[in-house]
Amino acid sequence: MSLLLVGLSHKTAPVEIRERLHFPDSSLQEALQRLTSQSAIAESLILSTCNRTEVLAHSADAQRGVMLVRNFISDFHRQPERSLHPYLYDLTHSEVVRHVFRVASSLDSMVLGEPQILGQFKTAFSLARRIGSVGDALSPLIHRAFFVAKRVRSETAISSAAVSVSFAAVELARKIFDHLSGRTVLLMGAGKMSELAAKHLISQGITQLLVWNRTYRRAVEMARDLNGEAIPPEELFRHVERADILICSTGSPGFILTRSDGQRLIHLRKNRPVFIIDIAVPRDVDPEVNNLDNLFLYDIDDLQHVVDANLKQRLREAHVAEAIVREEVQSFIKQARGLDVAPAIVSLRRHWDAIRREELARNRKKLGALNEQQEAALEQLTRGMLNKILHGPISEIKSLGQDPAAEQKIAAIKRMLGLKH
Amino acid sequence: MSLLLLRLTIGFYSVGLLHSFLTIITRKKTLFRVALAGICVGFLCHLLAISMAWFETRHPPIDELQGVLSFFALMIVLAFLLAYARYRLDSLSVFVFPLAFILTLAANLTSEPSQPFPEILGSLWLYLHVPFIFLAYAAFFVAFASGLMYLIQENELKRRRPQAFYYRLPSLEVCDELGYRALSIGFPLLTLGLVAGVLWQAPWELDKKIIASFSTWIVYAVLIAYRLSEGLRGRRAAWMSILGFILILATFFGTRSQGSAHPFIQ
Repeated sequence: MSLLLVGLSHKTAPVEIRERLHFPDSSLQEALQRLTSQSAIAESLILSTCNRTEVLAHSADAQRGVMLVRNFISDFHRQPERSLHPYLYDLTHSEVVRHVFRVASSLDSMVLGEPQILGQFKTAFSLARRIGSVGDALSPLIHRAFFVAKRVRSETAISSAAVSVSFAAVELARKIFDHLSGRTVLLMGAGKMSELAAKHLISQGITQLLVWNRTYRRAVEMARDLNGEAIPPEELFRHVERADILICSTGSPGFILTRSDGQRLIHLRKNRPVFIIDIAVPRDVDPEVNNLDNLFLYDIDDLQHVVDANLKQRLREAHVAEAIVREEVQSFIKQARGLDVAPAIVSLRRHWDAIRREELARNRKKLGALNEQQEAALEQLTRGMLNKILHGPISEIKSLGQDPAAEQKIAAIKRMLGLKH
Repeated sequence: MSLLLLRLTIGFYSVGLLHSFLTIITRKKTLFRVALAGICVGFLCHLLAISMAWFETRHPPIDELQGVLSFFALMIVLAFLLAYARYRLDSLSVFVFPLAFILTLAANLTSEPSQPFPEILGSLWLYLHVPFIFLAYAAFFVAFASGLMYLIQENELKRRRPQAFYYRLPSLEVCDELGYRALSIGFPLLTLGLVAGVLWQAPWELDKKIIASFSTWIVYAVLIAYRLSEGLRGRRAAWMSILGFILILATFFGTRSQGSAHPFIQ
């Protein structure tokens, strides 16, 4: 029995192809049932997201299994197989283990380290389990993949750093304030950009929102939409001290917030820190302000620099993660083979012991009455012979633990010794 | 027996040292869980060692250098464990584990012959003075370490080009709050310790250590007063916590008292 995987991903196929081979949730059950109704496919699981569609299966014969799964994919989506050929990849045996571990750990994702894939994988697994298309053969692999993903996440920082500008801003706010609940945001300028930023911060736990704009009407509108509080144009400096986070995006040609304003602000806030995000072009805040204590100013380029640094950080972490995956693949394969070898040995012994007993029973009468010692000697004699005969093949099987072609070799040994399975 | 336990403690603490060392070199959290387990077991071992020493000599083992260093290390580990339980601050370990190791090792190496028990020391006040002072020192060490973490993280944020520390260190808010908590625990303890010292020594003569201790007390008093009244926080508060701890080190190791009241610093 062997593992196989057929699929395509953002690395091999453009979105026009990926969407054609996508399995929507509603058709997954039918697809899995059709797949496993073929006798050569013992177990199967389908992982279908916007970036990948992959069919994982367990089959008696890997090559035949791959053919069946490929046919199934093209049949199910009514796509000629030939047209899919350049996009599909197929993996077998240990390649499957490595690939599944990497996918679950988000090392194969479009955005390295994004956490959604693990959730999607878990959903796919629980569906397949419910339907019964996944059993004892695939479950250990998948459980192990979840374990590896968890290990990668806790031992590396691959998913921790934000890789979009708005997430980077939230992350910076967390590095300053630790948590965002109970903090206040002031939007200076009620444009599209600041609205997006505000929505993002609200979704991350900000509770209080103030909106200030040159035209008061616009501020009132946006405050109503976002459940915030509008501040009249002339009262800005009365309210600005309430804000922990300032998002500036006015169309003003010059600086709205100068260094001395910054000093006053910090003084009014009794040194409580302020995080200023200046997304206006031209900028609203004098860059000098960043030199003041307890005041942290980021403009749009600074945020982009943080994102770049975060991406580099993820790449560095990915190296560590790959090492973890390598280690886990090895230990998984070793374990799986260990499990594979044991039943072969047991069945071999059992088969030959049955033959020994049979022969002994058939010829026992001819030997006449024997005393206890003689009985024991007879037993020992036959047993000893059997052990000596089987010693060679069994130690050969045991030594196959690390052999990539272990399965075929074990089958050959079994056939030679008269076992069918 | 207590010496054996102390050596065992050093063994456990060395796991923590290894963690700090690797974490600094690789700039990644390395072996933290193992180290944390080592430190916890080491702490229990250490506690047992000190209790045994108390049992063996029939008085608290805090009247000579060896005992004091060992007690100081125990208090620092205790402070770390408390801070960790509250804030889950693993980065603090990089500062704490090596110090705990070095202090315990020093305690083990300075196995000077047991001095005759000076009469001046045999007072109940001593047994309040020493633990309070060292509990305070441990708290101030935590304030020192969080001040250092604050300054590093603040620097990362101000430069606007994040590097390894940005990812590993806690937020400014947490560093600041932990520093403040540590101060507000440490300061009353220091005060009590000094009061007990005054009562124990009365009538007292000024030695350098006493003068230095009171200077330290004043620095911390000013720091706390500033924080409460004018909201002094952030960078300057961090610097003051660092300064305060340097003064403590100077008090502890720098002043050699000529009198017999602090004879273990000869």
